[in-house]
Amino acid sequence: MKIYFPWIGLVARLILGGTMVAAGYLKIDELDKSQMAVRSFELLPIWLANFLGIFLPFFELAVGLLLIVGAATRVSAALIGLLMIAFIIGIIQAWARGLSIDCGCFGGGGPVAPGTANYTTPLLRDFGLLALSIYLFYLPQSKFALDRHSSSAETTGE
Amino acid sequence: MAKSPAPKGKDNFTRNIVIAVVVGVALIMVVPTVLSSRTNTSAAIPASVSAERGYGIVYNEELTGVPVIDIYQDFQCGVCAQFEILQGDYIESLIAEKKATVVYHTLSFLGPESVNAANAAACSADQDQYLDFQRTLYSNMPAERNAGGWSNDLLAVIGGAAGITAPEFAECVKKGDYLGWVSNAAAAGAQANVNSTPTVFINGKEIDRQSEYFDVAKFRAAVERG
Repeated sequence: MKIYFPWIGLVARLILGGTMVAAGYLKIDELDKSQMAVRSFELLPIWLANFLGIFLPFFELAVGLLLIVGAATRVSAALIGLLMIAFIIGIIQAWARGLSIDCGCFGGGGPVAPGTANYTTPLLRDFGLLALSIYLFYLPQSKFALDRHSSSAETTGE
Repeated sequence: MAKSPAPKGKDNFTRNIVIAVVVGVALIMVVPTVLSSRTNTSAAIPASVSAERGYGIVYNEELTGVPVIDIYQDFQCGVCAQFEILQGDYIESLIAEKKATVVYHTLSFLGPESVNAANAAACSADQDQYLDFQRTLYSNMPAERNAGGWSNDLLAVIGGAAGITAPEFAECVKKGDYLGWVSNAAAAGAQANVNSTPTVFINGKEIDRQSEYFDVAKFRAAVERG
């Protein structure tokens, strides 16, 4: 079974990294909207939401690229996992409070017409991505990665 | 976690270089972007714009004891056009009769042609014909956004259609004299937590989105309530 792990790791890296690169790339053109998307979760102080609206797309792009090439896999996976937990909290609280917003996960975002908000899809996606990042955190060894790991499976060296 | 004594041909040098480059490039990009999203106080501002009022174009700034109406809009936003078509006459009558202070905030989050249009609107304010220009803009709004409908050349023509004849106007539109102001107005909108357009505040409080934007009588009641 264990010889499959590096291949599973490769798939996890590509899915997770590819998703992050796409999410970052689609936002980087329209940072005003990205800021608006973060503000409309009504969770953070305005100044912090505006800062994150600019910072997150670059961050997503950077950790996504690192994962795709397999550099700093473990740290990148941990950072993405924390980000996913933050997103999940943001979406659940928006849903629970009855806000009508688009998550802006892949660009766009902001308020939408009442009754048309879709929270299930982004939540399921974020839970899936969280699972992948947890997997990579515990088993960062993967094929075609720049990270060097010793042959022993117990060593999860960074 | 001991390192394996004999590296298997692959060392961590490439990996470390890649990490440094990716993190470095991301920082080099994000820091100036964060800084440029701040207000640039040295940017040129058009006539009748008030930095204290979020870089909006202000009418009847001098009045006291009247309602203050802040209107945040984007010239490529279809709903903003509907709002202007429905409530524009009433709002302009409030301006003309000096019954309200009205502040127009031109946001530009719908793309590059929103930026063009906002810059052109600032140029029209210099000619004291902002309201005419806004009306002409909304009634000629292209069906598709950012598809060349509001290139600077066409915006100069729209200005002519709105009755702006001064040659300085076309020059100001084409040279983008007020691009710095456009991004200041966008930053002010972000600080005011404006998340959609149109957004209307009366005396600093948003009116009810479900009922008061698109009902002439209810909008009027909201203004009179103050």
